[in-house]
Amino acid sequence: MSDMYDRLVDLLVTRFEVDRAEIKPGITFEDLEMDSLFLVELLLVVQSDLGVKLDEDSASPRDTIERAAELIAEQVNEAAAAGAS
Amino acid sequence: MARAIAVTGLGLVTPAGIGVDATYERVWSGSPTATRDPDLAGLPVDISCKVPEFDPGKHVGKRSNLTMDRFVQLAITAAVEAVADAGLDPATWDGARVGVVVGCGLGGVSTWEMQHRAMLQAGPDKVSALLIPMLVPNMVAGHLAMRLGATGPNFVTATACASGATAIGAAMSLLREDQCDIVLAGGAEAGVSPLIVTGFAQMGALSRRLDDPAAASRPFDAGRDGFVIGEGASILVLERESDAHARGARVRAKVAGYGASADAHHMTAPDPQGRGARKALLAALADAGVGPDDVDHVNAHGTSTPLNDVAEASMLREVCGGATVTSTKGVVGHALGAAGAIEAGLTTLTVQHALVPPTANLDSQDPAVELDVVAKAARAQRVGVAVSNSFGFGGQNAVLVFTA
Repeated sequence: MSDMYDRLVDLLVTRFEVDRAEIKPGITFEDLEMDSLFLVELLLVVQSDLGVKLDEDSASPRDTIERAAELIAEQVNEAAAAGAS
Repeated sequence: MARAIAVTGLGLVTPAGIGVDATYERVWSGSPTATRDPDLAGLPVDISCKVPEFDPGKHVGKRSNLTMDRFVQLAITAAVEAVADAGLDPATWDGARVGVVVGCGLGGVSTWEMQHRAMLQAGPDKVSALLIPMLVPNMVAGHLAMRLGATGPNFVTATACASGATAIGAAMSLLREDQCDIVLAGGAEAGVSPLIVTGFAQMGALSRRLDDPAAASRPFDAGRDGFVIGEGASILVLERESDAHARGARVRAKVAGYGASADAHHMTAPDPQGRGARKALLAALADAGVGPDDVDHVNAHGTSTPLNDVAEASMLREVCGGATVTSTKGVVGHALGAAGAIEAGLTTLTVQHALVPPTANLDSQDPAVELDVVAKAARAQRVGVAVSNSFGFGGQNAVLVFTA
């Protein structure tokens, strides 16, 4: 899995009281009983940790953790490219 | 007395313990809970009464710390106990007929303070998306509805230190007007935060007996010098008496009357003649269909402040001077918006067991308090009619009358 996936998993475990054993790439936030408000909070934390602005709808509760990691990584890469140019 | 409402369930989370039994044991033993609080270290007053060994993960559920301020966690714990105590099952009741009314004076103040600190120190990006749902006071009633599937009328009352009693009075109306069959009514507060405690200290409202915290809350004692801040939650399950009897429920006591008034006198000081308080008491007695001479016992507001206790005592002496009086704040401190509900719960138990808990730390009764204040040990007596007084900053008075 990607660095971003590992980072999300760590955040879910340390900040959102999710059991590490429950998390798999294909599991959704809904499966983890994380609603849209939790997801907003998660994105805020990621945003603040990485110092990157993320879209509020970067992920939805029905997304898998893997998909959310991809969506966030894309935005981080775009931001990095914009910063480099 | 057909208007009397049955108390069929009770849940208590107080500095005296988690649960009705633990609280009963400590309050009736008269053992104070006030102590120096490490979370308040360095502040002008660092004494508090806190709920001991409260574990949100265990008592409320996983992730509750992420979504709920402590006042909500305390309320859920009390409500779950109360519903089980009433022999009710939220899986089978008609939730549309179940209301929730909870008193709360402050809301999620600890969350507010922590988030404000985060914003000032690290910028707005550090402010949680859950700040607002965690701090608004009405969320406590919302959470109880979600947890218990109660979809009837649902609201929070704010009358400062009378909030819990106001909530129970409002709940009685919902039942008398047949808007609900069951109401979970009570109060919740978790206001022991550095800013709030300092605010009360700056007003001069808190005891400064820092060298002897266990003796700091001493209602009606000549040496009292202010209240000790507490916290907690109390939820009563209320039903019409006829409904309670029809389903064979155990009735712990009845809440038979409610009266409310405003002093219209001063922001924080009580009317020195106790006019507003007397008006609320007389209205509550009339609502219950009993007279002043019928009152056997009063669970006083009794905050341990110099002004409150003497004004309340002179009013009580005039209206029902023959009744025994106690203030349970000597043991549990002053839980602000939850206090009236905690005392309603304790008055329910007083009526049920015909045993009055003692006022802790009453070593030398203030000569201006010309009442039979129960001290040192619990007193067995007839308690056919008991009054619970609650008075809030803002001059808001709420009085409940309980009967056996």
